[in-house]
Amino acid sequence: QIEPLMMEMQDPDTGVKTQTQRVMITNIPHAVTGNDVMQWILQRLQITQEEALHLGDLFVKYGYIYPLQEPKNLTLKTDSSLYRFQTPYFWPAQSWPADDTDYAIYLAKKNIKRKGILEEYEKEHYNMLNQKINYKWDFVIMQAKEQYKAGKERKKADRYALDCQERAYWLVNRTPPGVLDVLEYGVDRVTDPNENKKKTMDVYRREIMYYQQSIMKSRVKSSVSLGGLVKYSEQFLSNDPLLSGCLPSNPWITDDPEFWDLNAKLVEIPTRMRVERWAFNFSELIRDPKGRQNFQLFLKKEFSGENLSFWEACEDLKYGDQSKVKEKAEEIYKLFLAPGARRWINIDGTTMGITVRGLKHPHRYVLDAAQTHIYMLMKKDSYGRYLKSPIYKEMLAKAVVPQETVKKRQVKLNLIVGSGFPFGRRHLRSSPSPVILRQQEEEAKAREAATTVDITQPCHHAAQAPHPAVYTGTSTPPSTPAAPACPPAALPPSTACPSPITMAFGSTAGAEKEREPQDPSPYPSSSGRSRVAALSFGRFLKKGCWTSPAFATLSPKCPAMPHGKVQPLGEREQQLWTDTKAVSSFFQIKMDGPLESRICPIDSEKGEDNRHRACKDSGKEVICPWENPVEEGRAG
Amino acid sequence: MVKEECKALLDALNKVTACYRHMVLTIGGTSDSQNLREELKKTRQKAQELAVANRNKLTTVLKDKSVSKEDKAEFERLWVIFSTCLEILEIDMRRALELGHEFPLNVPKKHLIQTGMSGGTSGVAARAMSVQNMKYEAERNIDVVDLKDLENEINQVGEMMYEMEMKVNVPQWTVEAKQDPGAELKSTISVGASSIGMISVEENKSFCDISKVLAGIIFSAVLIIAIVLAVCVVKLS
Repeated sequence: QIEPLMMEMQDPDTGVKTQTQRVMITNIPHAVTGNDVMQWILQRLQITQEEALHLGDLFVKYGYIYPLQEPKNLTLKTDSSLYRFQTPYFWPAQSWPADDTDYAIYLAKKNIKRKGILEEYEKEHYNMLNQKINYKWDFVIMQAKEQYKAGKERKKADRYALDCQERAYWLVNRTPPGVLDVLEYGVDRVTDPNENKKKTMDVYRREIMYYQQSIMKSRVKSSVSLGGLVKYSEQFLSNDPLLSGCLPSNPWITDDPEFWDLNAKLVEIPTRMRVERWAFNFSELIRDPKGRQNFQLFLKKEFSGENLSFWEACEDLKYGDQSKVKEKAEEIYKLFLAPGARRWINIDGTTMGITVRGLKHPHRYVLDAAQTHIYMLMKKDSYGRYLKSPIYKEMLAKAVVPQETVKKRQVKLNLIVGSGFPFGRRHLRSSPSPVILRQQEEEAKAREAATTVDITQPCHHAAQAPHPAVYTGTSTPPSTPAAPACPPAALPPSTACPSPITMAFGSTAGAEKEREPQDPSPYPSSSGRSRVAALSFGRFLKKGCWTSPAFATLSPKCPAMPHGKVQPLGEREQQLWTDTKAVSSFFQIKMDGPLESRICPIDSEKGEDNRHRACKDSGKEVICPWENPVEEGRAG
Repeated sequence: MVKEECKALLDALNKVTACYRHMVLTIGGTSDSQNLREELKKTRQKAQELAVANRNKLTTVLKDKSVSKEDKAEFERLWVIFSTCLEILEIDMRRALELGHEFPLNVPKKHLIQTGMSGGTSGVAARAMSVQNMKYEAERNIDVVDLKDLENEINQVGEMMYEMEMKVNVPQWTVEAKQDPGAELKSTISVGASSIGMISVEENKSFCDISKVLAGIIFSAVLIIAIVLAVCVVKLS
């Protein structure tokens, strides 16, 4: 759009007035003053002075016009400083990005002309390019020499103008350090505005779809969202270390890591601020590992600890290894969802139905519906009671209020002065490696689990279902504190969940037919499987239970995976599914052994296979009801 | 022998490409004209001929199994240079096509961009075609007519490059440049008094000179006046 304007400017009658630039003895025509350009823009486009100035400035920045007297200063000055129009070859265009080879040739030419005098950044680029496109280097030099020689065939004035042009072009496209690179965002855009897309049916169809979807997007009134923002700020103001200071002292200022030690993930006694924060809302409690731990204690007393464990397992599934997704999903099902599972969670029939259907083609988000349901359950039900419970109150009472380090202000002053001061300086030691920390966490969990006794019933064990994150259809991260438009648990997950499922279905529709006839066969047959399979299943179960809480603690730090990852999974698990033998052994294990003897081998996912102790589980034949809708009734 | 021939051909192609680049730079500017378009066409055709010749020669050599290792490495290097040259030529040709569409010459409403160029490019074209003077014999509206040919030729070049890639398996990155960085400085380029660098150097010098000259003149004038006065005083007294 600038280009037609540029061309209009050239009109001898209505365009910009040109002058002649005097360089020593030669006259080079077609110079324009900044003022003339501005006036022309004002007149032609009928806009305000400021806008015209800005627009003119943009012309210069993008390289359509270049300054003559101060080549490096790419701004439009509305006085008599001179500019000239750039040749169309050098106009910025998305389909013609400035090429490295060309830049190398330019630098080589400059080298020849100036006999080795290049700017610092140009020298750096030169050396870098020499390494990067070394194989082309002979060509670069040859071409540079030839272009230089060819240039000599032109008039002196033209040569000068050419030189200015080229220099201006490269000032725009390879900006010297410290100068704003205008093209940084512009050239590599996703869409090319100059591209002439033929308006086919397809293009229109896509446009219509896009607009329909954007209409259907849920929107929040700005008053509501602003209100939420204000409320959030007020609530969290006291917790903000920058705005309200932090106790004992900000480690970045005083070099005292006590703050971090006191607020470590699973510290024995948390700080008071932290515990109070758990009362703000449920997601704060869930985000904090210590909060979860405390909450778990409470839930155990209420015999609904399986909820939180399920939630944590789902988080682990979502943020864990892609290769283990299928296994984990199945383990979680076996442990929490299957009728007769050891730690059965209570979710309604529709959600269970969706989940079971989804588990035919497991992917990361297959348990989202169930997870959301459990999350809302915990939030609405257990959370309120938790806050009134003696466990929470005890924690609140125990919580420590760290003392502000003595002479904090003086300490700060000393810092400003720059002298090393005695007070805040402590022996700096680095925190233990995350691998070790995780192992410790897992061991702790194992010990804790070994000592807990699940209240067992003949068929259903009080499974611990953890809390699902608030799952909305669009990919918002689960731990957003402000979710004012939180939809009711059952409905949107059911609309949102089928979409990843259908995606998975779509990609595996063909293979489905092959799989189904194979499935019923292993199930009715009894388990006469080898011990190896039993052990392996036990191991997998363990991994599912115990690694998941450990990973749930890490999960808030992991970014949410986009849905785009679902489809490849479809293909992968096609291959996995062909291994039906292993799968079938998975589902028919008869577990012997008492529950209490279950001890957790710690499988650190970093590759340390410490599978030292075998797991046996209480005996119950668990059949995977992928094909049997009858059993869903029990789950409801 | 073969090596020298190949090198000579490659040099020629290189020269023509450089000239072509120079000419494409001026499309749309004030030194654009029908002549320029004709020059572009001729240069382009010459470039294509050279490219084909180069390709044939190099492919025969590279396919030849009886070539020694160093020779083979050398030919691979030449091949890489050749393919890069051809890439640049193709890009320039595409650019020329686009700019040609943008700036048709005979439309009165569309004005050429005033880029400050006033001279023609005939010298460059003559250099490219290796003739003394360029002869212009094309019709009035060559700029429009030529575009179709240009499109075809671009496709041809594209196909040629594709074929080249498929047939000859020379990984580009294995070739090492013979010349070190900064080699261009050691070359014997005659930096005449009329080079552009000198212009800008002169420019700087000229400003200093002017002020110095003025100062010198004033000083000497004052001196002369003082001497004259002194002489008068001496004479009178």
